[in-house]
Amino acid sequence: MLIELSEVSKIYNQGHPNEVRALTDIDLRVEQGSMVCLKGPSGSGKSTLLAIIGCIFPPTSGRAAIAEKQMTRLPDRFLTLHRRETIGFIFQRFNILPELTVLDNITLPLLPLGVSPKERKLRAHALLERFGITHRAQFPAGQISGGELQRVAIARALINNQPILLADEPTAHLDTVLSREFMVIMQQLKEAGKTIVIASHDPLVFEHPAIDRIVTIKDGRIHVP
Amino acid sequence: MAQYNIEKQLNILDYALSSLWRRRMKSLSVLLVFAAVIFLLASFQMVTQALSDKAKQVLAYTPEITLQKMSAGRQETFPLTYKDQLDGIFGIRRVVPRIWGYYFDEVRLANYTVMGMDTAEMPEGDRLDSALASGKMPSHEESGRVVIGHSIKKGLDLGGRSTFSLFRPDLSLKPFEISGEFSQNTDILTNDLMVMTLDDARDLFAIPAGQVTDLCVYVANPKEIDTIARKISDALPAVRVLTRPQIQKTYQVVFGWRSGFGSICLLAALAAFVILAWDKASGLSPEERREIAILKVLGWETSDLLAVRFWESVIVSGLACILGMTAAYIHVVYFSASLFRPVLMGWSVLRPELHLLPSMAAGDILLILAFTVIPYLAATVIPAWRSATVPADSALGG
Ligand SMILES: Nc1ncnc2c1ncn2[C@@H]1O[C@H](COP(=O)(O)OP(=O)(O)OP(=O)(O)O)[C@@H](O)[C@H]1O
Ligand SMILES: [Mg+2]
Repeated sequence: MLIELSEVSKIYNQGHPNEVRALTDIDLRVEQGSMVCLKGPSGSGKSTLLAIIGCIFPPTSGRAAIAEKQMTRLPDRFLTLHRRETIGFIFQRFNILPELTVLDNITLPLLPLGVSPKERKLRAHALLERFGITHRAQFPAGQISGGELQRVAIARALINNQPILLADEPTAHLDTVLSREFMVIMQQLKEAGKTIVIASHDPLVFEHPAIDRIVTIKDGRIHVP
Repeated sequence: MAQYNIEKQLNILDYALSSLWRRRMKSLSVLLVFAAVIFLLASFQMVTQALSDKAKQVLAYTPEITLQKMSAGRQETFPLTYKDQLDGIFGIRRVVPRIWGYYFDEVRLANYTVMGMDTAEMPEGDRLDSALASGKMPSHEESGRVVIGHSIKKGLDLGGRSTFSLFRPDLSLKPFEISGEFSQNTDILTNDLMVMTLDDARDLFAIPAGQVTDLCVYVANPKEIDTIARKISDALPAVRVLTRPQIQKTYQVVFGWRSGFGSICLLAALAAFVILAWDKASGLSPEERREIAILKVLGWETSDLLAVRFWESVIVSGLACILGMTAAYIHVVYFSASLFRPVLMGWSVLRPELHLLPSMAAGDILLILAFTVIPYLAATVIPAWRSATVPADSALGG
């Protein structure tokens, strides 16, 4: 099991007046090579759950094992180290730094890993080629089209060959054509062995045939209909 | 592991450079302000250092007690016979008459310091012979012979000749022959110095026979300088008695340079902080927060983000140092520290013209760095801890 959560709860600002209970008793198991969609209304806790799976912060209580490692009570630093080996993120709006070139954006995760410029270029070009955007390598990321941007974001999530891909509302700002294209790429990645979790309430995503399972979340709990 | 760390720091340095480049207008303005601060500090330090070096050398060749005659606040010549009044004073080793004056060469537009003195009369340790690069000091009988400093030699542009002439006040020409040249090692003192016999100096300035401008008194025991000076004052009430410690004090008062430098250092430190305050007080901009959050999610540690800031600051302050120091050197050497003219006016009381030969000790450079770069580094890197407060999950959609 690549992702294994049991009785996971998350309380933001615990003990403060602005305390928010975002997740309660989440049990979730995702095996390697499957694609899961987290579905639910706004504020239900999808992003919070992705953050826990993505080792951004540990759960307040419960146990979370990501790629065979227990996250609970792991110091921040080790979460980061584990995250960059294991998790690739694709964000809503893609979170690209617009003044950097496409190439520099894609290789950002490799800088703190001490990967040499030569090796970085090599890896980035392999991905650029795979997604057909080699000709954009030296363009500032702010100057390329939405479809190209989406592929840059995916390339960045794959640059360190991480086994898990997490996407938070990836199609929220895309038109139908690009949303479909996104799911085609996800399907290919799944077939290549990646484990994928997508938070989305876009039917183009959760109705896609490549989705193995839809997990519905309501008020921070998994909703079983 | 070492290889990994070096590679990683190089990557982060690379990123710091590119992020400075992305904010080039802001980076450039910080760089320029910073360079200006260092420029002022370094110029000031070079000038004061040059002046104090000069003062030190001048003092080294200053007799323990100098007698001068003042009238209406100006120096006058006085008869050599004053010397006789000193005969009875115990502890005086030797009294040597001297004529000290400044000659303006209207042809070459240069100022020379002229010293007429029988240098053989000076006590052993005080003789100028050690400052000679070639030739010898003119002896008492060698009329018409001079020893000149390095820049005078250059200014005279004699070609192969060793003779030149200067004008007496009545515009008649007085010929000289060069009998020696001062070493460049003592340039600070001897650069514009011209040493001739007492009689020649008298002739050049048209001072009546038997008159001098100074009497140099050498004492047997330096501890008795003050006592002897008091006795001289009693014997010759109309004469101004200058002791070496007094002259030393005058120099110090004229520059007040130590304290001046101290306060300028503090000001500079303050300025450096102001630059930062302006740079940082705004806190993290939304773009900065966004960038930090993205980098964190992508696996950058807080220490990596701090390292980016650190390298940025090192680059900016390093460039500012090089720029500021170079500009200061050019300012002092090629523009004679023209920005400091008003501040340095006091110097002309002691010498008519300022030849600045800047010198800068490694210690001074370190001091300037300590007062500018270190506060700047501290003040840029410390607030960068704020990046630790940016949660990585703010990069997620929501
Ligand atoms: N950093 C935070 N501090 C405090 N409360 C938070 C924080 N992040 C999220 N929350 C709260 O936790 C709950 C779950 O938020 P979350 O962002 O996980 O929901 P979501 O399902 O992703 O919603 P959306 O569809 O709007 O993205 C919400 O009530 C939200 O207000
Ligand atoms: Mg969300």
